[in-house]
Amino acid sequence: MGLQDRIDRWLGGASRQLARKTSRRGFLARVGGLGVVTAGASALPLLPVRRAFAQREPAPGEPAPGTPQGDPNACEYWRYCSIDGFLSSCCGGTHRSCPPGTEMSAITWVGTCRNPKDGKDYVISYNDCCGKDTCGRCFCHRNEGDKPVYLPQRSNDINWCMGTREAGVIYNSTVSIVIGVATEDER
Amino acid sequence: MSRRAGAIVTSCLVLALGPATIARPDVALEAEHIGSVETLPMPPAAHWVWVADPLLERLVLIDLDSGRTLGMIDGGWGIPTVLFSADGREVYVPETHYARRSRGERTDVVTLYDTESLAVRGEVVIPAKRAHNAQPGGNAALSDDGRFAAVFNMNPGTSLSIVDLREQRFAGEIPTPGCSLVYGAGARRFVMICADGALLTVTLDDSGQAVSRVRSEPFFDSIADPVTEKAVRVGDRWLFASFEGMLHAVDVSGDAPRFEKPWSLLSDDDRADEWRVGGTQHLAVHRASGRLYSLVHQGGVDSHKDAGSELWVYDLASKKRVQRIELSNPGITFLGASLEFGQDWVWPFSGTYDALLSLGGAAVSNVTVTQGDDPLLVTSSAFSGALGIYDATTGEFLRRVQTTGNMISSSIHAPWGGTR
Repeated sequence: MGLQDRIDRWLGGASRQLARKTSRRGFLARVGGLGVVTAGASALPLLPVRRAFAQREPAPGEPAPGTPQGDPNACEYWRYCSIDGFLSSCCGGTHRSCPPGTEMSAITWVGTCRNPKDGKDYVISYNDCCGKDTCGRCFCHRNEGDKPVYLPQRSNDINWCMGTREAGVIYNSTVSIVIGVATEDER
Repeated sequence: MSRRAGAIVTSCLVLALGPATIARPDVALEAEHIGSVETLPMPPAAHWVWVADPLLERLVLIDLDSGRTLGMIDGGWGIPTVLFSADGREVYVPETHYARRSRGERTDVVTLYDTESLAVRGEVVIPAKRAHNAQPGGNAALSDDGRFAAVFNMNPGTSLSIVDLREQRFAGEIPTPGCSLVYGAGARRFVMICADGALLTVTLDDSGQAVSRVRSEPFFDSIADPVTEKAVRVGDRWLFASFEGMLHAVDVSGDAPRFEKPWSLLSDDDRADEWRVGGTQHLAVHRASGRLYSLVHQGGVDSHKDAGSELWVYDLASKKRVQRIELSNPGITFLGASLEFGQDWVWPFSGTYDALLSLGGAAVSNVTVTQGDDPLLVTSSAFSGALGIYDATTGEFLRRVQTTGNMISSSIHAPWGGTR
């Protein structure tokens, strides 16, 4: 084999190897392997995602599911006004139930959110789902009424999985449960 | 490319590179040693910063001058917390571990690292209840003489675990009902923030036992205008900024804290234009010059954790704003690779990347400043992984530096090269 042929083969091999290392599929596989949040950069506007699987019929008292305020998979959903975490509804649970195999924390922080359907303020309990590692889907961070960590019951920065019996502090995702209509003091 | 064309290209390559690239027997490499491991030059430099990555659960040491990654330390499960000895020789990491990664028995420890080698030189097991939250600081603190570490517990009752770093032993747990977080405040003293806006002063004896726990009168209204947890220290004073932009300085040099009269970081005009302080790590102070850096954005009520677009600089002596620095987006790193492109393109196309980034605003969530005579501002964004570097004196944007890994930096620390 001549020198040129050998260089040809070497260049071809190098480029194939480069292609393997930088292939889109390999790239995505690494992303998937890490379970990284692919929420995109905060520097870039979030893409509007059509939520084909959203329920079509509004639940009683809830805004229309076709609107962001009525879609539990959207960060704009009315109950998420003071949430900081991954939406359970994107992780195998719903907006008020945890994903399979997790444990819901008994203690939590609360927020007060206005339901656009009836215009009433509701006290929302943000319970964490625990015992499986970070879900990584549908990160949502809103701070209406959020207070610092030294006011624990009003702070969304705290990992409330400390309140589980078995699961410990391994945080997976968060639900948003209506506790009741807010009194004047809680607004 | 056809085989013929390929052959022509390679011929040209060989001609262009010349015979120098063809093996010559007189330049063979020497056989190399297997097993070399680097150590860090000591003392650590002012321009070395630690960046916490909550996804890979570790801290990465970056040299801002060379852009090189110098090493890393694992943080255990969750968002990393870290402490640095004042002499630069040691790094301490409170960690949480589960026996089977995400289940099994939980063990909390404080791990002691040697800075020069970044190797573990000891660990102290503490009660398995340390607090887990998204704060960039305040979850642990060192006593000013470096002897004791206090780790904040929330289970959900609050307390401190005290670690004797010299003896490498757990000294005891101190209940601190109603008070959270912890800040160093003297050779044997820590302070904590209580739910009603008071400060709890915890004083230790030489064995690490609490000799007193004294609660002050409230120094701010925790409901109407709470201070953020992201305080910075200069000398014996802790500086807290409130949601509404009031700066509360607390002098901790005496047995009881002394609360200075709060002053506003924002003028009436600033407030009318809806400027607010805020971010994940929104305050930084260059101690030698007394310059305070405050991250600001325009937004409404409850935007206290929104990213910032400008850094406002204050002279702490005169309590006056002396500079406004417009921030650039720190850029995007994905899995350790920068997405930056086109810097070598012909003008004006060389600015394409910056123009695209600017569509989303500066989006700076974290800021710190290095100490020493030649201070640098270091900024990061919630979903960035890259750092934006500025001259801290002139405010000029200098460059971007990549961290090792991920899209997220939860805190930046520049512990070295200055005095307290």
